[in-house]
Parts: sequence; structure tokens; C-alpha cells
Amino acid sequence: MRLFRPDMHVMAGVYALDGIDDDAERSRFEHHLRRCQQCADEVRGMSATATRLAFAATQQPPAQMRERVLAAAARTRQLPPAVEHGRSAGEARQRRAGRSVRQSRPVPRLAWGVVAASLVVIVVLTTVLLRIQGELNRVNAHQAAITRVLEAPDARAVTERTSLGGTATVVYSHARHALILTSAHLPPPPRGKVYELWLLGPPQVRAAGLLPTTARGHTTPVLVNGVVHGDQIGMTVEPAGGTSRPTTKPILVLPLRA
Amino acid sequence: MDAHGTRPAGASPDLPEGRDRDLDGLLSRVARGDEDAFAILYDQLAGPVYGLIRRVVRDPAQSEEVAQEVLLEVWRTAARFDPARGSAATWAMTIAHRRAVDRVRSAAAAAEREKRTTMLLPPADDVADAVEANLERERVRRCLNGLTELQRESITLAYYGGYSYREVAGLLGITLGTIKTRIRDGLIRLRDCMGVT
Repeated sequence: MRLFRPDMHVMAGVYALDGIDDDAERSRFEHHLRRCQQCADEVRGMSATATRLAFAATQQPPAQMRERVLAAAARTRQLPPAVEHGRSAGEARQRRAGRSVRQSRPVPRLAWGVVAASLVVIVVLTTVLLRIQGELNRVNAHQAAITRVLEAPDARAVTERTSLGGTATVVYSHARHALILTSAHLPPPPRGKVYELWLLGPPQVRAAGLLPTTARGHTTPVLVNGVVHGDQIGMTVEPAGGTSRPTTKPILVLPLRA
Repeated sequence: MDAHGTRPAGASPDLPEGRDRDLDGLLSRVARGDEDAFAILYDQLAGPVYGLIRRVVRDPAQSEEVAQEVLLEVWRTAARFDPARGSAATWAMTIAHRRAVDRVRSAAAAAEREKRTTMLLPPADDVADAVEANLERERVRRCLNGLTELQRESITLAYYGGYSYREVAGLLGITLGTIKTRIRDGLIRLRDCMGVT
């Protein structure tokens, strides 16, 4: 056993309060601690004193923390007791004395890393799922709206050739104030142009959306809402992105007779 | 912090009212995978663990995170607890303090820490604490009041503030040698006042 060293001994307090941030310095003290029973006893008493300070700082933790910790514990494997291979218990205890807690730290760090990574994955997946769900909802809503027009008692269907070739078919319902337009064999619009739809009414001309790009000569149905009596559906070629007013001669004008 | 050698028989406990024995017993059940015992242990330790971490870390969300880590580590490493080296409470609080200090000493937290100006005051929202905690707080406050101002400030800054002794010396404008001595002397006085071994 090393002789009592006042220069080391005085470190007991700051060590017990976790106040040594220099790893080398802390190691030196722990080395000393293994040889100085008096220091070790003193550190123990001071640590217990610090525990009283901790209990005096007691605060109610957030209520949801309990369930989270207990649930996490239920799915976390516990470490087995430390087994001391080929070393006397006393020696092993001396080795473990001091910073055993610090030594066992990397594993929980890793475990929490895994938990954090899993959470990230869950968040990402949830986001993707919600996006898909949102997309589906939108598609479903779109389908439902189309179905409502198709099933309307006053639904009428009109097919007309456009001036550029191909045909446009419109199903409209004044009861639903809506129409559906599809096209077949319409030539692709010139580069940098789009087909834009219009509701050409006696009150005013309203933009009614862009025709989707064609797939195998057909366009997916476009739903146009806000149809009023007297409206005609029109189609023009406009710059990409569309415009707010028709700027070219319509390639199609279809009256929506009641 | 744990010392080697056995705990002297009949020594004063770390905590009053036999709570140490209860906690030690609970922890050994937890070590055998007893989830019910862990739930009881949680109820005993979550308050002090969270309260201590709040003192050091300040930010409620971060404190909660650290407290969860600590309590889960208590579960995970319960079998590594050696009653010969100290009480279960001290073992758990040592983990809690270290984790809290790790959090505030990490580079990312450095900037946030600058904002912690009212460190010596407990957070305002701990009024609703248990009577028992208030009792313990009263005891500790009385003992803290028995210290010199320098001792009290050094200990409070180091433990509740999570500052290293170098930082405490810088804050109080005194030498490293003085701070080491003051903290040690202060802790001895506190220990005796509280009736700890």
C-alpha cells in the first residue's frame, strides 16, 4: 500500500463530484485510489454525500417517461454479472474500483445509437407511408369525383375531333357542375408547349387545367369543376406551364348542352 | 463514486429512513430480470435522477433524454452493481451525474450551456415535488448553509452545475489548489452534517 500522498488525497472531493474533466488526470487519481484505502473510503463517503445532494434535487419527471423506460427495459437484454477470469476477486475488485460505470458505457451508447437509428428509419418510413397514403387519398378522391360525374343522372358524353387530329371525349354533368375530358390519338404538343383547357362561358373564360402528357396516345381523365350552364369546353396550345387567358386559336370547342 | 473494500457493518446509510436497504434489495431483484421490481425502482429513482440531470443539463427535453438513458442503463447493468462498493442509490446517481456531465461537456452542448445563467437556482417548476423530497431538500439546505460561502459555491457549481474543478476555479477566480481543498473540506463537512459514513 502506497504511503498517504496529500497532493493526491486532496483530489478526492473533486473526483467524487465528477469534477475532473482531464482523462489522464482522472486515471492518475484512480491509480492512486487502488493503492490508498483511506482515499477510497473517503471517496465512498463523499459519493454518498453527493447522492444526498441528488435526492435533494428531486423533480417529478414527465409522466410519459415511465412507460417509455419500462417498455424499453422490457425489450432490452441485461448484461450478465461481471465474471473475473484468472484473477483473484480482490484484484478484480481493485481493477473495477473507480470508473466501472464509465467502462460499461460504450455499449449503452451503441444501444441508444441503434434505438436512434431505428427511430430515424421509423420516421422516414412513416413519412413515406403517409406520402403514399396521401397520394392514394388524392387518387381515390379524384376517382370518386370522376365516378360522381359518370354516375350523375344528367351525365352526357360528347366526342369531337380536334383541329390537330385525334379526338377528345367529354362527359359532363350540370347537376355536378363538372366534366371529365380524355383524349385519344392527339399529337404530342410542340416542344415547350402544352394543351390547356378552358371553360368558355358567356360570363367569362376560365382556365380549366392542362391536359396531362399522353401515354400511348391517350390522356388520363382530367376533372374540371365549376361548370355552369352555357359553358363550352375549349382547348388551346399554350406555352409550357399554361397561361391565364387563351393566346391561340382553339383546336377544340365543345358546347355542353343541357 | 465507489470505493473498494466492504461497506463497514452498521455504517450510516447513504439515505435516511432505510431507503438504501430497499433500493439495494430492489436492484438485486432487477439484476435477475424482475420487471416489477424495476417498476418500483423506477418510482424511487426517477425523481432524483431526473431532478439531478435537470440541474446540470437545464433543458427539459435533453434532461428527459439523458434520464431515460440512465434509467435504462440501471436496468441493463444491474447485475454489475456490487453492494460491497456502495449503495444502489449512489451507484445510480453516479451514473446519472456522469451522463449529465457528458451531455453538457460535449462540444455540441457548449453553446447551449452558455445560456444557463441561473444555474444556482433550482428550476421554477419543481414546486409540486413530493413531501419527502422537500424534507430531504430541507436537510441538505441546512447542511449546505453550514459551509463557508466558498465551499458551498464550489460544491454547488461542481455538482449541480456540472462544471469541472478547473471551470469552477475560473468562475470563482481562485487557484486550482484552493478549489480542490475547498471542495474536499466542504464535502467532509456536508458528510458529517448529513450523518453519512
